[in-house]
Amino acid sequence: MAIKNLAKAFCAGVALTFAATAVVADPVVGHPAPVFTGKTAEGSNLNLEALRGRTVVLEWTNHECPYVVKHYEKSGNIPQLQKEAAEDGIVWLQVISSAPGKQGHVDGATALKLNEQRGAHPSGVILDSDGSIGKLYSAQTSPHLFIINAEGVLEYKGGIDSIKSPKEDDIPKATNYVREALDAIAEGKKVPHPSTAPYGCSIKYAS
Amino acid sequence: MKGLLRVLGSFNLYWKFSRTPRWLFVWLAAVVMTIATAVDAADHAATDQVSARLIAETSAVYPGAEIYIGVQQKIIPHWHTYWVNPGDSGNAITIEWELPTGASASEILWPAPARISMGPITNYGYENEVTLLSRIRVPENLRPSEDSFAVKAVVDWLVCEEECIPQQVSLDLVLPVLLRYEVPREKNPLIAQALARLPVASPWPVRASVGTAGKFQLALETPEGALAQLADAWFYPFEWGHIRQSDPQALTLSTSGLELTLPAGEAPPGLGSQLAGVLVLTEKGGATRSFEVRPTLTATPISGSGVPGLAAALLLAMAGGIILNLMPCVFPVLSLKALSLIGQSGQSQTYIRRHGLVYTIGVLVSFGLLAVVLIVLKAGGAQIGWGFQFQTPLFVLLTAYLMFAVGLSLSGVFYFGGSVAGLGSGLANKSGYAGSFFTGVLATVVATPCTAPFMAAALGYALTQPPAQLLAVFLSLGLGLALPYLLLSWWPGLQRWLPRPSAWMDKLKQAMAFPMYAAVVWLIWVLARQAGADAAALALGGIVLIGFAAWLHSATRNGGASAAKLGSVFAGLVVLLALGGGYSAVKLGAPAQTDAQASHNWQAFDNARLQVLLNEGKPVFLNFTAAWCISCLVNERVALSHARVVDAFAADDITYLKGDWTNRDPAITAFLASFGRSGVPLYLFYPAGKSSEPVQLPQILTPDIVLATVRAENAQTPEPTSLSATAINGGRNP
Repeated sequence: MAIKNLAKAFCAGVALTFAATAVVADPVVGHPAPVFTGKTAEGSNLNLEALRGRTVVLEWTNHECPYVVKHYEKSGNIPQLQKEAAEDGIVWLQVISSAPGKQGHVDGATALKLNEQRGAHPSGVILDSDGSIGKLYSAQTSPHLFIINAEGVLEYKGGIDSIKSPKEDDIPKATNYVREALDAIAEGKKVPHPSTAPYGCSIKYAS
Repeated sequence: MKGLLRVLGSFNLYWKFSRTPRWLFVWLAAVVMTIATAVDAADHAATDQVSARLIAETSAVYPGAEIYIGVQQKIIPHWHTYWVNPGDSGNAITIEWELPTGASASEILWPAPARISMGPITNYGYENEVTLLSRIRVPENLRPSEDSFAVKAVVDWLVCEEECIPQQVSLDLVLPVLLRYEVPREKNPLIAQALARLPVASPWPVRASVGTAGKFQLALETPEGALAQLADAWFYPFEWGHIRQSDPQALTLSTSGLELTLPAGEAPPGLGSQLAGVLVLTEKGGATRSFEVRPTLTATPISGSGVPGLAAALLLAMAGGIILNLMPCVFPVLSLKALSLIGQSGQSQTYIRRHGLVYTIGVLVSFGLLAVVLIVLKAGGAQIGWGFQFQTPLFVLLTAYLMFAVGLSLSGVFYFGGSVAGLGSGLANKSGYAGSFFTGVLATVVATPCTAPFMAAALGYALTQPPAQLLAVFLSLGLGLALPYLLLSWWPGLQRWLPRPSAWMDKLKQAMAFPMYAAVVWLIWVLARQAGADAAALALGGIVLIGFAAWLHSATRNGGASAAKLGSVFAGLVVLLALGGGYSAVKLGAPAQTDAQASHNWQAFDNARLQVLLNEGKPVFLNFTAAWCISCLVNERVALSHARVVDAFAADDITYLKGDWTNRDPAITAFLASFGRSGVPLYLFYPAGKSSEPVQLPQILTPDIVLATVRAENAQTPEPTSLSATAINGGRNP
């Protein structure tokens, strides 16, 4: 077991070395996802690397953004996805990168309460008010989704679905890229649309 | 009644009451007809941020007409709506038309957008005011004076300052249907204004190519002077993911037009697809021109700064190979070969030709082998380039020993037998194809630390290519290296120009030993830099042993068969000792760290440091070098260390960064690759000014070349010859 872990660490190290020499700094699908340690709404620290072995969904969110409202209050679309993910042992993390004083910025207690009110059950909420994790991932919109596989490799980045609109009526007509990617990963298949255009409100970074 | 007033309001802008009574009748009829259907309909609607209005090109239509109808948005300050490609976030405006049966509407004709940046996010959209036009076709079957043409537009937009609000309005407009000649000629000036803001087809040729390091090059070829007033240029792609919208688009201006370097995005178009979008040129006075461009992406570089195609690379490689013959590292070996040719002048033509061919084969086989090693290492993911083998201290050591042995042979200390190791045999005894073959190998070995002009571009190309092309370029380079001698051996006419053989040849041969010894000194110095002083000392010990072995071999040679055998065995053992000692020296030795002499006017290259300097707008001179690269060392001695250059760097506050590629360094290899290079030297100058584009200097430098480049580029910096992308909106939040 120790040898296996050593081998894994070595592979990750090699992969990271290559990732570091890549010209583009953004996370690239098929490459190791950037690792980070974030503060959760409960006040504990969460290290992405500690989640190796499980599929992880990162969802950038801002509860006041109309596009987020479309997929939460108006349709229950994202809460439903979170529920399905939890049943499949997938870790679903909301990330809130709104800077203090900007739209969507909340403290931990509020973040938890909002999820309760909206019937949302993500595995955790990461508070990223300095935007460092958001910028690490080049997160641009709320919602903006990233899926990392059990080996820590980025499998998907992009929008929640294929119809870029604020209207909940469009959800049934759209291809849900996140569900599609999670299904593909579970079946060991290639993700059909690994990189799509995210849509929504811009992330409210401090600068 | 409220509805009636609104409908009246929608007409009173352009309605001419001074028309015929029939007009009035038609108008009243239209109004009466609409009241029933359009109780709450209006041609305008407003939210807190946007007031929208539906405007028609003419105040009436005729059956079969095609008119422009626009949705005008007036947006409160600091807020914006979005273009067809909204950029990093946002949502494009959409219009859904409800038209009478038989009528049709075109897609939105999008005016050129502006770019709106907030932190790391860049959007493409509109501020203050915009009119989105559509072409509407009126059905033929409408009856003039009886029917009316009712248009309804459901317009959705997202309006954002920092926060975003999706909004929807419904706008109605009813136009009377008249006979064609009855339709008033007056056209709504707002429509004309909107038409003027639409991008037009480019009056000049536009080309696009896929460049190195995930970049596209977009070039607009204009007549000289056409862009004299240009202040800024920006390319807005129609599709998300084609380029990275937040990254600067480096602009280069020349007499033949402009070139934009665009960083490829998440979903870049491939070769042969279109890079479609709008190119917006802003002049110094603020006037803008926008062109809709749809160039097909080619692999051909737009300017000399790009990479050549295969045919060009093959030619460049061959030219580079020919010039290699004159390089200081190759010349001694070449002169050896020339000497052997003179020595062969008494021989038959076929004999001489065969030797020429065998030498060429020796060169080609070596280059082929080099290419195969490169291909294998590349496949393994290694970051390597031309001359990479000299980054291995062991290779440097072996080359030093080999050169020394050749030198000893030239000096007459010993003669190689006609064996595989018969390096000098082609010269010493007039037989031995092996000798010719290995002279070819030797020529290749000593050629690798040199980069001749033309070679860099060819090799830079080759190293990015599949194996077959890489091999072709290397073989072409080898052919170039072998060509002068091959020609000489095949054309007796040329040989007549050579001097007659006589005793002077021996003297010359002995004299040629000294460049070989000089090469050994240089290689030991390289080794000292790579593996430290101890390694160098052990290597020198190895040299002494090789000298001893050579003497032993020579001394026992004529002392009977057993003595000769014994001598050879001992000599062989001594050589093994030298190799073993040298090998352990290399293994033991720690790399000699940078000798921190305070007198240097340069700092070690570090990409992060470079980016910081460039962000500050500081001028930077970059020198990529290696201890084993002779051209690099010559340039440093002759040009870069010249007092005038040193003074100029100090006077202009130019930061001089030196990237040392003596040992393997993936960061430097990657940086070289981003300029299409696979080896050193590479000289770059970034003039002062933020995001300035670097100027590449030639591979052979003189103080004047360096000074001219530095002076010319720095003098121009206040002028926007080298522009970066400054956001139209300055630093203001969207």
